[in-house]
Amino acid sequence: TSSVLSTDEDKSAASKDSTPEGASKRQEDGAETPKQQLLDIIGNMKVEVSYRKKLQELKASESKKQALNKLESPDSEGSVPQGTTEDTQRGKPLNPELVKAASAVASSLPRNKKQTESELLAQLRRHEETTDKQKKGGTINIRNVISEMTVKRQTPAQRSARMSGRISLRLDEDGQRIRPERSSAQSIDSRSLKVGKRLNIFTKASTEPEHALKTVSSPTIWDLEFAKEVAAVTAQPPRNGFEEMIQWTKEGILWEFPIDNEVGMEDDAEFHEHIFLEKHLEGFPKEGPIRHFMELVICGLSKNPYLSVKQKVEHIEWFQKYFEEKKELLQEI
Amino acid sequence: MAAAALCWALRAARQVLPSPCPRQVRSYYVDWRMLRDVKRRKMAYEHADERLRINAIRKNSILPRELQEVADKEIAALPRDSCPVRIRNRCVLTSRPRGVKRRWRLSRIVFRHFADHAQMCGVQRAMW
Repeated sequence: TSSVLSTDEDKSAASKDSTPEGASKRQEDGAETPKQQLLDIIGNMKVEVSYRKKLQELKASESKKQALNKLESPDSEGSVPQGTTEDTQRGKPLNPELVKAASAVASSLPRNKKQTESELLAQLRRHEETTDKQKKGGTINIRNVISEMTVKRQTPAQRSARMSGRISLRLDEDGQRIRPERSSAQSIDSRSLKVGKRLNIFTKASTEPEHALKTVSSPTIWDLEFAKEVAAVTAQPPRNGFEEMIQWTKEGILWEFPIDNEVGMEDDAEFHEHIFLEKHLEGFPKEGPIRHFMELVICGLSKNPYLSVKQKVEHIEWFQKYFEEKKELLQEI
Repeated sequence: MAAAALCWALRAARQVLPSPCPRQVRSYYVDWRMLRDVKRRKMAYEHADERLRINAIRKNSILPRELQEVADKEIAALPRDSCPVRIRNRCVLTSRPRGVKRRWRLSRIVFRHFADHAQMCGVQRAMW
């Protein structure tokens, strides 16, 4: 649209400079209705007027005056449909009454009438656009944001306290620092975070539902190799000691701080499963030295905090197997 | 689809392969004796549970003696390198079998070398 505008600007500049000369001709024509004239103006208006462009237009006008005088009529005809298309491009055309009013105001002003008229129309257009936007509710109203804010006024006492020393080294008798009284927190407390209109500045990041486990065939060897290559390339050597330590932690060389004593130990069992192990003794004979032996074993296991329940059960089961294998031997005795 | 598969593969690769480290990695043991010691340690770890249980049967005053004799034979039948007694705490860097301090796993000579170059954390020449 910029190219269209620029060409239109050139044309409009040329035509405007020529219109005051040919105005009499136009009025005499009478073929164009006043509405057509207004539409002409809308179509020919410039959106942005810069000094450079004015100079260019003046130069162009001086060179092209005579040529354009001849081409005026076909130009105006050509510009009308262009203007209409432009209108459609820009959305709603301006209220014709407003346009009339603008033209009247421009005519009353002493300066270059056409220019002022075009500028007024541009302003109107801008207003229309903003109102449209606001109706749709797209723009962030800064007024809403600022309405909630209040100017913070420091008391001179606070100011002096702050100036005196940022870090207070005043020690108590015990040797502990005296903190400067935090009155700033109180001012924050007076207005809580959840009070007030929602500004809708931050949109909720829509958490995409994790795609249900896509049945992806196991990655091919090529995929793995490519992945390894990428990992090798992206893994840059550590720039400083911190990154080195991060790498070590990832590899498992360095523990994670604060030290968790139960890393790797996932014992979900309750205490009673550790201590009351008699239910595992069902496979053994109820009397005899073996039972005696196993009860001692269980007593020892119940006091052992280092083994998991699984390991203890395995222990007992091993004994069970062993004694079953030796049953013949035992019966001989 | 392809991107998801690639991500999965990347994660798998990262877990399998630790990131390439520019540090020196020891790929050889200092000498064969150290290698044998390493093998003994591995075997001892594997058979540790069995040995413990069989010994529990052996060192018993409750179970009948015949059972204990059978257990004796069984434990003797285990591979020789599986017993922990055969492990020797050698120096980690020089494989020296004697003069090794347990805390640092280093022989006295290496320990002195590093301590004098201030590469042992918290170790200082004694003076009193």
